[in-house]
Amino acid sequence: MAKVEDKVDLYDDRGNKLVGDVPLTALSPLRNPAIRKICSLTARSAAIDLAGLESKLKTGAIAGKQMIIRGKSLSLDIVGKAKDVATQMKEMLEVEAGDETKVDVMAGGKRLLVQVPAARILADYSAARTNTCAALTHAIINTFKVDMWKAPDVKGAVWGMYPQDPAMTGSVVATLVDVPISNEGPGYTLRNIPVNHIAATVRKRAIPGAALSMILEEAACYEMGDAIGPFERGHLLDLAFEGLNANNMLYTMVKENGQTGTLADVVYSCVEKAKADGLIKPKQKMGSGYVVYGTDDLQMWNAYAATGMLAATMVNCGAMRAGQSVPSNIMYFNELLEHETGLPGVDYGKAQGTSVASSFFSHSIYGGGGPGVFHGNHIVTRHAKGQFIPCFTAAMCLDADTLYFSPARTSALYGEVLGVIPEFAEPMKAVAEGAKQIM
Amino acid sequence: MPQFTPGKSFVAENRRKFLDPSKKLEKLRDIPEEDVVRLLAHRAPGEAYKSIHPPIEEMEEPECAVREMVKPTPGAAAGDRIRYVQFTDSMQFAPTTPRIRPMMWYNRYRGIDPGMLSGRSICEARERDIEKLAKEFIDNETYDTARTGLRGRTVHGHSVRLDEHGMMFDALRRWAYDEKTSDVRYVKDMVGGAMDKEVTLGKPLPEDELKKRTTMFRNAQGGVWMEGDDPEVADVISEIHWNRTWGGFQPFVKRDAIKGNKGVGVKELKLYVPRGGVE
Repeated sequence: MAKVEDKVDLYDDRGNKLVGDVPLTALSPLRNPAIRKICSLTARSAAIDLAGLESKLKTGAIAGKQMIIRGKSLSLDIVGKAKDVATQMKEMLEVEAGDETKVDVMAGGKRLLVQVPAARILADYSAARTNTCAALTHAIINTFKVDMWKAPDVKGAVWGMYPQDPAMTGSVVATLVDVPISNEGPGYTLRNIPVNHIAATVRKRAIPGAALSMILEEAACYEMGDAIGPFERGHLLDLAFEGLNANNMLYTMVKENGQTGTLADVVYSCVEKAKADGLIKPKQKMGSGYVVYGTDDLQMWNAYAATGMLAATMVNCGAMRAGQSVPSNIMYFNELLEHETGLPGVDYGKAQGTSVASSFFSHSIYGGGGPGVFHGNHIVTRHAKGQFIPCFTAAMCLDADTLYFSPARTSALYGEVLGVIPEFAEPMKAVAEGAKQIM
Repeated sequence: MPQFTPGKSFVAENRRKFLDPSKKLEKLRDIPEEDVVRLLAHRAPGEAYKSIHPPIEEMEEPECAVREMVKPTPGAAAGDRIRYVQFTDSMQFAPTTPRIRPMMWYNRYRGIDPGMLSGRSICEARERDIEKLAKEFIDNETYDTARTGLRGRTVHGHSVRLDEHGMMFDALRRWAYDEKTSDVRYVKDMVGGAMDKEVTLGKPLPEDELKKRTTMFRNAQGGVWMEGDDPEVADVISEIHWNRTWGGFQPFVKRDAIKGNKGVGVKELKLYVPRGGVE
């Protein structure tokens, strides 16, 4: 691990100090126990829609809307026997008695929350999904004594369109991470989570939502090989300041500009903060009187800029109570910041560049998507590494359901089931506690 | 005090004026609110605002610290639909340029979603908020009745030759030019639809006035050449690009350690284009 000596104070989403003097290294996804747990749970957790399974089998709509087999119908009281199903699944999924395997019945048997033990993952995280599907299939067949002739229906309803479609479209088992074949490139697993899932998981609270998003994005940067050697400090600074409200900077910028401020006002707050902290200094006065600024710590400048970018998104989307402006917020936050100082925008221009295509793909000129279904695992969103997607999560948290792809529409199951996991519901507190353990 | 953008020329000055919210932009006309509503064509004049959700006060918002800190705009608070206004700016010295518009709006308005593409800029916001913005930016000096177009669709025309009256081309013929009075009237709404009443926007600015007010650098037809006449602007852009490249390479080293240019801009930059451009 590279030598990183910076220390920060961590604050929660309401500006209360959680822990002071945290060495940046204690926030590394490779070391912080809470971040490790969040990443591990992200890969190992599954939400099962038992009510959906029951209805699929009853109606013959086995693998989703269009996949209806007429005349096929199985009336099984799956919701009523959810406890039996859960007990059997737990027994099957456990590797050692008493390990971290979890199969919890939720919503009166309509849902199951499954956590597959880490020991099941030898090399491929898909083991969480495949084993959950297999255990559920067998538990249903076993509980309801489904015969050999009807068993394929159960398998089809649980696994969805697998194996015709490796992405398992129509499956009743949902995991936050997608199957490896859907990943844009090596190391992208934790970036392949639509922001609506995160927004639903944190119950649409913008700062914790951005924090959880950033934790996953930055952890992915480690897995992508982007946070190696001297580059690591940059990622840790971005994570601390933008994602974890280090030194209360994010909160303060939103607070200062919340009542009357514009997006540009957040740009100027960010620049003033950087000046006041001695991070940027006048480099050259131009003929018109315009001052070009310089810095000796470009990684720290990037963290300040990234924090400003998220705050600006929160101020503008918050004022609009709509998430659609996030690509534009990113674009013009950076544009105004660069023209105010002469210093580069977030991720050295890449956030601004990425925002161009994101604007196109999230507005009706294209028509196919919306910011809520964006994630960092896409050709138009992947280039700014870490700093970009948390802004989308914050925007979707602040949206008053003005968009077609709202968290309630796309991600209700995730919110209901995964939102009860404390590390997901309160990521900032969890990371601060985790940091305390290793400081 | 923000510095907004570099440059010594009057074009740079104009840009700073447009961007600076403490500077009131000159009002050149006063289009009645109901005519603005007519032009935008989102609702009939006098018609109530439609909403997509109940007023914020009546909703149960999540317990989110940001929502508690950030005040919704009047349109958001009322639950208005999201609507838009879109302008096309001619490259023949329209007062503003598509790129300056979002920068200007973001300095002056909250809760907006601007975007720009070649010759036009769109701004989306809650309906009553966008009507306010639209009125202000149709009335003020950023809008010239000949060189600026209010165009919801078929926006083409920004780079096309002007007609004999100096009017920007519009394939949908939304405007009519009165040869007697020199007034420009809108006979169709922003998307080219029929209106129950024509809206007179007034006389275009004279050519010399447009050239004085423009925020456009242009090495042609007597415009200000950025690289030749106001190199400070090009120097700062060059500095931004240097810094982006430095950050993309090794952001952990000092700028001085990077081989090449140490100062701001490129010294003795050779300009290959002649003054007046290549026609």
